[in-house]
Amino acid sequence: MSLRNTYWLALALACYALSAAGFATERAGLRGRLSQSASVLLGGGAALQTGDLLMRGLQAGNVPVTNFGQALIFLAWLTAIAGLVVIVRWRMPVIGVYVAPIVMVVLAVGAATIQTERLAMPQSLRSAWLPVHVTFALLGYALFVLAAIVSLVYLMYERRLKAKRPLLPTDERTPSLEKLDRISYRLLGWGFLMLSLAILTGAIWADAIWGHFWSWDPAETWTLLIWFLYAGLLESRLTVGWRGRRAATLTIAVFTVLVGSFVGLSLMAGGKHGGNFG
Amino acid sequence: MRETIFISGVNHRATPVAVRERLSYAESEIVAALARLKQAAPAIHEVALISTCNRVEIMGVTTAGEQAHQQATGFLADDRGVEAAAFASSLYHHEADAAVRHLFRVGASLDSMVVGEPQILGQLKNAYAQAAEAGTTGLVLHRAFHKAFSVAKRVRKATLIGHGSVSVSSAAVGLAGKIFDTLADKTVMLIGAGQMAELTARSLKRLGVQSLLITSRTFDHAVALARKLDGTAVPFDGFQPYLKLADIVIGSIAAPKPVLGPEEFEGVIRERRYRPVLLLDLGVPRNFDERLNSMENVYLYDIDDLSAVVNESIGDREREAEKAEGIVRLEVESFLKWLNELELVPAIRDIRSSVEQLRELELDRHRAWLLTLAPAERERIESLTRGLVNKLLHRILSGIREGRAGGSDGIYTAEIARRLLSADLAISGRSLIEDDGDEDEEL
Repeated sequence: MSLRNTYWLALALACYALSAAGFATERAGLRGRLSQSASVLLGGGAALQTGDLLMRGLQAGNVPVTNFGQALIFLAWLTAIAGLVVIVRWRMPVIGVYVAPIVMVVLAVGAATIQTERLAMPQSLRSAWLPVHVTFALLGYALFVLAAIVSLVYLMYERRLKAKRPLLPTDERTPSLEKLDRISYRLLGWGFLMLSLAILTGAIWADAIWGHFWSWDPAETWTLLIWFLYAGLLESRLTVGWRGRRAATLTIAVFTVLVGSFVGLSLMAGGKHGGNFG
Repeated sequence: MRETIFISGVNHRATPVAVRERLSYAESEIVAALARLKQAAPAIHEVALISTCNRVEIMGVTTAGEQAHQQATGFLADDRGVEAAAFASSLYHHEADAAVRHLFRVGASLDSMVVGEPQILGQLKNAYAQAAEAGTTGLVLHRAFHKAFSVAKRVRKATLIGHGSVSVSSAAVGLAGKIFDTLADKTVMLIGAGQMAELTARSLKRLGVQSLLITSRTFDHAVALARKLDGTAVPFDGFQPYLKLADIVIGSIAAPKPVLGPEEFEGVIRERRYRPVLLLDLGVPRNFDERLNSMENVYLYDIDDLSAVVNESIGDREREAEKAEGIVRLEVESFLKWLNELELVPAIRDIRSSVEQLRELELDRHRAWLLTLAPAERERIESLTRGLVNKLLHRILSGIREGRAGGSDGIYTAEIARRLLSADLAISGRSLIEDDGDEDEEL
């Protein structure tokens, strides 16, 4: 990996760190120049990462997601962008205090574990489906990250309201419970769609290369389980009308399973998804 | 004589509403009243009349403070037909910096009954507009009012003086805003047609609530209120089935025991498919069982919870008011500086013209000789005298403005300078005869 590449990433990381600090000071009720530019810094980090991804993508001739570290970097980028969309589109800067540090940590871990040599991708596996499959999967994860963050904000805000404790100075700008609940639901819906598309494109790709759609690879099994959990979550909302606290708690619970499987699988590093494209 | 700004009047702090209401003016009466006031009070040069439910104040510009005060309050008593004794003891009179400070504090809502309430600024703007319409404002009041508006704006921007809920109904509405994103598609149900419930329902309607159900033990009360608020009356015996429609339920019924408990509400929640419900309990004894608060997506606030929100906000506003006082103090200083300089204007004009007259007099004396010179040389002498005079004036005037003559009062120094220079003119007029031989020195 060239020095220039790490230079871009380091700058992006610095932007995210400053953004996280800005959101944190804002939440502490200290409004200053840093807190006012927190969202801009988050965007700056994402822009720097875009440059980095473009460079590495051009080098590799593909979406640079052939190992775990790269996947994390890509995930950080998608989460930052999706987070910005939510912050701007739905005017929810309150989630920034979680989005920025999470993006920062994911990027830092990704940058630390990235393998210096590009994994040679067997010519036989190169396919237009790979970037599509991986992008859907990681975009789905990014949306689930945001859904969990919004749910967390919901739960903490709800607790303050129910306890009738004095609200935080920043609660003046916290969206209503109804809105937080609705946004979390939307993010879940979009995340679920992305996850479904990831499974579908993965199956098509597998069929093209190995001749079968499904091989019960650990990642496939776990992903299917998570898909069912999210499906159940959405279903309970549609039919029984579970929402509010219960929905938020379940969103966070399922997300925990998702994180566990993601980390666990990458540590095991077996199967096709671990980089052994056997 | 020096002009000064003054305010005479009564406000909610010392004068009871029974007196205030007799002294107050309707908006439509003010322009005519100002014209009468101008007639009745010759000591007052510029004048405005501020009349709200919390204050009746006459603000003006005068050269005789005490006289203006007498005339203003005398006018108020005569014009309103209120015996002066009824409000003499609670009357206040401010002059100069105290009057400016008072005006700025009123505009910034620091003198309001509920500190930080936003209406006062609009009322003050009205008072100013009416005085302008009546033609009773001048340079000083224009500037004072505009400054008061900008101070108010600055205070709103720099402090949180207008934040938080300071009444039970606004606290209730504030909570609704924390739970619901929009009120337009929500239904409000009143159990009991109490006054505070009505007030809260009105505030909610203002924020977009369309659908309103009202039940009361006396059905006629429910019907009457429903007609007033454009709602639907529901019989008290059978209100339970309507509960599932209500997103906000306001209880204000006099009942020894709660009318709503968790047992019957369980089914309501399920029928509502867990959509959130805000329960506002304004009743004492309480109308809603407190265990309801621990139910999912149910938010229960009783009268104490709401009062706690109100007290909290009032405390916050008081803290913010201290910051606002600091802003007002600075602005009063800067306004007085402007006013002082304004006072100096006539004196400065006199000083300028005295010195200029002196210069022209001297040039006149040498006119015959000057005419023998070439135009360029004449021009040279002209500019030399002008330069000398301007340097001298600059020293004197900047010395007056900056108070370099000692003492704080610029107008006093200016007056001395003015007199000395005009006396100088008289002396120099005499000297033309006496000191004829010294003319070379004088040039």
